[in-house]
Amino acid sequence: MSLLIQSIVLGLLLGGLYALLAAGLTLYFGVMRVVMIAHSAFLILAAYLAWFFSTETGLDPLLSLLVTVPLFFLIGVGMQRLLISRLRPATMTMMSVLLTFAIALTIEGLLGYVFTGTQRRVRLSYGGGDFEVFGANIAVVKLIAFGLAAVSLLVLYLVLTRTRFGQALRATIQHPEAARLVGINTDRIAGYGFGIGLATAAVGGTALSLDSTIYPSLHWHWIGPLMAIIVVGGLGSIPGAAIAAMVLGLGQSLLQIPLGTTWAQTFFYLALFATLMVRPQGFFGGRLAQRF
Amino acid sequence: MASEYLLELEDIEAGYGRAALVLRGLTVKVPPATVVCLVGPNGAGKSTVLKVASGMLTPRSGTIRVAGQDVTGFNPQKMLGAGLSHVLQGHSVFKEMSVEENVMLGAYSLTDRAEIAERVDFVKDLFPMVAERWKALAGALSGGQQKQVEFARSLMVRPQVVLLDEPSMGLDPKATAIVFEQVVRMRDAGTAVLLVEQNARRALETADLGCVLDLGRVHISGPASELLADPQLAELYLGGRPATPTTT
Ligand SMILES: Nc1ncnc2c1ncn2[C@@H]1O[C@H](COP(=O)(O)OP(=O)(O)OP(=O)(O)O)[C@@H](O)[C@H]1O
Ligand SMILES: [Mg+2]
Repeated sequence: MSLLIQSIVLGLLLGGLYALLAAGLTLYFGVMRVVMIAHSAFLILAAYLAWFFSTETGLDPLLSLLVTVPLFFLIGVGMQRLLISRLRPATMTMMSVLLTFAIALTIEGLLGYVFTGTQRRVRLSYGGGDFEVFGANIAVVKLIAFGLAAVSLLVLYLVLTRTRFGQALRATIQHPEAARLVGINTDRIAGYGFGIGLATAAVGGTALSLDSTIYPSLHWHWIGPLMAIIVVGGLGSIPGAAIAAMVLGLGQSLLQIPLGTTWAQTFFYLALFATLMVRPQGFFGGRLAQRF
Repeated sequence: MASEYLLELEDIEAGYGRAALVLRGLTVKVPPATVVCLVGPNGAGKSTVLKVASGMLTPRSGTIRVAGQDVTGFNPQKMLGAGLSHVLQGHSVFKEMSVEENVMLGAYSLTDRAEIAERVDFVKDLFPMVAERWKALAGALSGGQQKQVEFARSLMVRPQVVLLDEPSMGLDPKATAIVFEQVVRMRDAGTAVLLVEQNARRALETADLGCVLDLGRVHISGPASELLADPQLAELYLGGRPATPTTT
């Protein structure tokens, strides 16, 4: 019984991180029709930066956010401006897969070169702390990671729905030509959209570093589930991605009880196949898509 | 320099990428408070004329003037500032936003709150449907209602000239009638309108001036009532070419 509750709680906590990262992927696709394979590579890069920061300075890895979030935002804007926007619109989606695949390999290679392939883990004073929920033990760091993801998603939501910039971004996603005609500089907005997407990887990576052992090729374990989530959620729908993330995260966690970690991962791909067969536009690809 | 025209497109040559030119020396002039209608067969380049006028497509040569001021080469943002507002062919509301958000995005380039509030009152007055469905999701409106939201959005900036690309496309007769009625109301409110229509007879009945576009140039132009009475134009309706094609 406590194992079941533990799995449910862990699944929901993991789902929060998935939701934040999937929101980033959704943004890239929404503003540019880009499939960003390197998203999870940036996630791991941010985790390494958090680890490096805390080992070098002895400070809390969460503080690395002050550097990585603005840094990743700028990298995202630069990437969109200098690379992505050079792709031809007609073949944007396909070519973006190739381009970002190459970027993912480059990041993985650089991490291996600079930090070697050794597995790394942040040492935290509160790393061993846990608390009890209905008899199940949950690590404090997992709750912190979830809180970070949840707060970031909330901020993202408020930015997209309440600010002038958010309005312009949503307009650009929904009808780029009409957006240009009301005076929105859609190129600049797409760049910022990309930057925000990459900033979610910075937050996610820091959250990940709190309770995970990291190594350069770890990103391959993340990109598949994340891609599955945004397809199930309906490409371009942030609420859809968030709901799919929670559901699939929970499913993965529950399946780990009978199947073990490796096989539980297949749940994402089964969900992906089922979605493509039953509802190719994703479960929230209709009304809810592009809502914010 | 003062000009008797609000919008002038002169000797415009334009095309897409490396493909052949679509507009080959086109000239269209729109006087103040006038509806000018551009008719022509599919693929004649009607939408291209409007894209050039709103800055979405930069012409290879030729001059664009708004109220006498040279605006050639302006991007859409600057064209909007110069007083040109473009309503695209097909549907272009932001579907997943409310009518209110759509209309307010029309004022994206404005900063003066009082002015925005005044414009909101103006468009609500001009389009009662927009006021009624203010909080509704734009994508949930009918095609004709969405067109009205697009009109309202395009009028927020108090444009000098509105460019309308086939506003009656896909609408039933009643909605079409409303659209044409509103074109007249826009003109009466002081805005010049450059109207592109497939539904040529109907459009010429509404317009003050008409131009027939074919092969990238204006072949016939004049008062709309004269064009309606022209047998050559009737031939064009049936898919024929003008009797004497010019070759320069
Ligand atoms: N984005 C584009 N890229 C390349 N060619 C284009 C593009 N848009 C239009 N064209 C070409 O330019 C020509 C004129 O197109 P345009 O859309 O201006 O015609 P139109 O008169 O508006 O036709 P319709 O009545 O069908 O709307 C066509 O031959 C078309 O194939
Ligand atoms: Mg057209």
